[in-house]
Amino acid sequence: MIAENTQTQMRKGILEYCVLLIISRGEIYASDIIAELKTAKLLVVEGTLYPLLTRLKNNGLLSYNWVESTSGPPRKYYTLTPEGTSILVQLDGTWQELSFAITQSKNQTNKP
Amino acid sequence: MKKTLNINIGNSIIHIEEDAYELLTGYLIEVKQHFGKSADDFEIVSDIENRIAEMFLEILQSQQKPVIELEDVQVVIGLMGSVEDFDNEQEDEPADTNATPGATPFIEKKLYRDTDEAMVAGVCSGLSHYLKIDVSVLRVITVLTVFLGGSGLLAYLILWVAIPKARTRSEKMAMKGEAINLQGFKRNFEEELSMLKDNLQQAGDHFEPLVKRSGSFITEFGEVMGAFLQGAGKTIFKLIAIIMMIAASLLFIAAFISLAAIFGFWDSGTNELFPFTIIDESYFRTFLFAAFITIIIPILALILFSVRVAFNSKPASKTFSYGLLLIWLAGLSVSIFFIARITYQFKEEAEFTQSVQLKPFATYKLDIDRSRFFSKEDSLKYQLNAADYAGKIIQHDSDHPDHPFASPRNVSLRIEKSDSATPSLIESYRSQGLNFEVALNNAKNIQYDFKQADSVLSFSSAIHLKKNANWRDQRVELVLRVPVGTRLKIDHDLNRYIQSFSIWACNEDDANDELYEVVMTADGLRCRFEN
Repeated sequence: MIAENTQTQMRKGILEYCVLLIISRGEIYASDIIAELKTAKLLVVEGTLYPLLTRLKNNGLLSYNWVESTSGPPRKYYTLTPEGTSILVQLDGTWQELSFAITQSKNQTNKP
Repeated sequence: MKKTLNINIGNSIIHIEEDAYELLTGYLIEVKQHFGKSADDFEIVSDIENRIAEMFLEILQSQQKPVIELEDVQVVIGLMGSVEDFDNEQEDEPADTNATPGATPFIEKKLYRDTDEAMVAGVCSGLSHYLKIDVSVLRVITVLTVFLGGSGLLAYLILWVAIPKARTRSEKMAMKGEAINLQGFKRNFEEELSMLKDNLQQAGDHFEPLVKRSGSFITEFGEVMGAFLQGAGKTIFKLIAIIMMIAASLLFIAAFISLAAIFGFWDSGTNELFPFTIIDESYFRTFLFAAFITIIIPILALILFSVRVAFNSKPASKTFSYGLLLIWLAGLSVSIFFIARITYQFKEEAEFTQSVQLKPFATYKLDIDRSRFFSKEDSLKYQLNAADYAGKIIQHDSDHPDHPFASPRNVSLRIEKSDSATPSLIESYRSQGLNFEVALNNAKNIQYDFKQADSVLSFSSAIHLKKNANWRDQRVELVLRVPVGTRLKIDHDLNRYIQSFSIWACNEDDANDELYEVVMTADGLRCRFEN
């Protein structure tokens, strides 16, 4: 239970980062984002993604356009805005720092 | 076969089965409610709906089926995530501080009257929701306080007026303390649907609230009093039925015992008791059995009926009821036949008289002779050993000369003036019978004991019939003729046998209270001492 909490916390922190990374590769719509996150074992349910995407869009990090589809309802295809790209760069930096911190903590031995 | 609907979701028209639709609707309502707190709720929800529609279309395509089923909706909800799952994954939402999603919202229970589950006005039902006490307990308390003291009635009426009726669904949910959120609504609605489906009769009850709402308080009160009486009346009815059942069963058993006794399963001596001596021995058993049937079957029917009312069991089978009826009718007709026959035995009357000369005395003492002379048959019947009783006189029970099963009084005494100077006693024996000869024979078989011992005239209090003689209203009329001036000291117990004169009037404040003194005058009997 306790481990789960920490794990959830960890995942929550980087979910947004991952989403931005995925979108930065190119135009993509929600369902595909979810599929990728699932293979990365980062997402369990789809329902959590939609509010996240909407929030990012409202904060100006994402934009979308509607694409009509023959087999179903129209889809939103998301792309990063310039602001989104710059935030992503910042997050990259933060990620590096974190990665370093973890590696450090793992490899260092405690001084006797 | 299932009902399907068409829904428009994500700009697509999709066929969906009814139960699947309900699940989906509930889910979407929850989702809407969950995101309703944020400003983007519409957008998020429509995104989700679009995604769901997409998933549905994929399913219909891949499974080559025309309609979305319940399992499909469940799968989609699983993929999309339930609202609880949403909460786990996100915390950066500008969430409303008042209602944290996922945590049970503060349930404020309000006191309403529950008229859906009401017996009278819903006071007890509403109270039970609010206080979390079982409704039956409250009802029992109410009934007790109403019937013992009446204060409960006043309190109930006040509550009736003061507590509002729960009308809207949200009020009803607040009454029961259900969370006023969409989950609660869905649950409440589903409960009501299933109730309606299970018991169609309740649909009729749902129209009642309309009636209640339209009237004023007084008309509602009147109607509800009627319903209450019906309800309470049923319970009282059941109580009465149980009491009746027990009483009837006891009667039933008693009747059986009586029958056994009369038929002689043990020597109870009932055959010699008065009512049974009317019946001739030849058809004694048949008649009594028929009479028994006539009495017992109504009792049995009463028992069965009260059992049915008390315990709400099924009525007895028709064959059984008709069988009982037939038996009863048979018993009845046989009984009537014999009753007619018996009555016929009393058709004619006959009488013969004889005179007894009396030794003249100036003063006579008249008393009741209570000794019984036992015949040989008597000693057999009572299993007496004659040797034990030789020389003894057995007295009747003087305290209760007319015990319940004694024959009706069959001795009467008139005291008249004698024309001659000699006193005499005239005995007239009378009896009924089938015809004159039989009646006369019956009269001749009467035994009556009268003794004169010096100046004491002893009259037996009753006649004796020969053993096994049938009672045919045998009686003896005695006329005592004494010359004018004769004094009579009469035992006070004789008063009931003496015709047309009451010796009570001759009571004196004497030590000798047992005897009353009269004297024969030219105008008839007079008290010896005028009061």
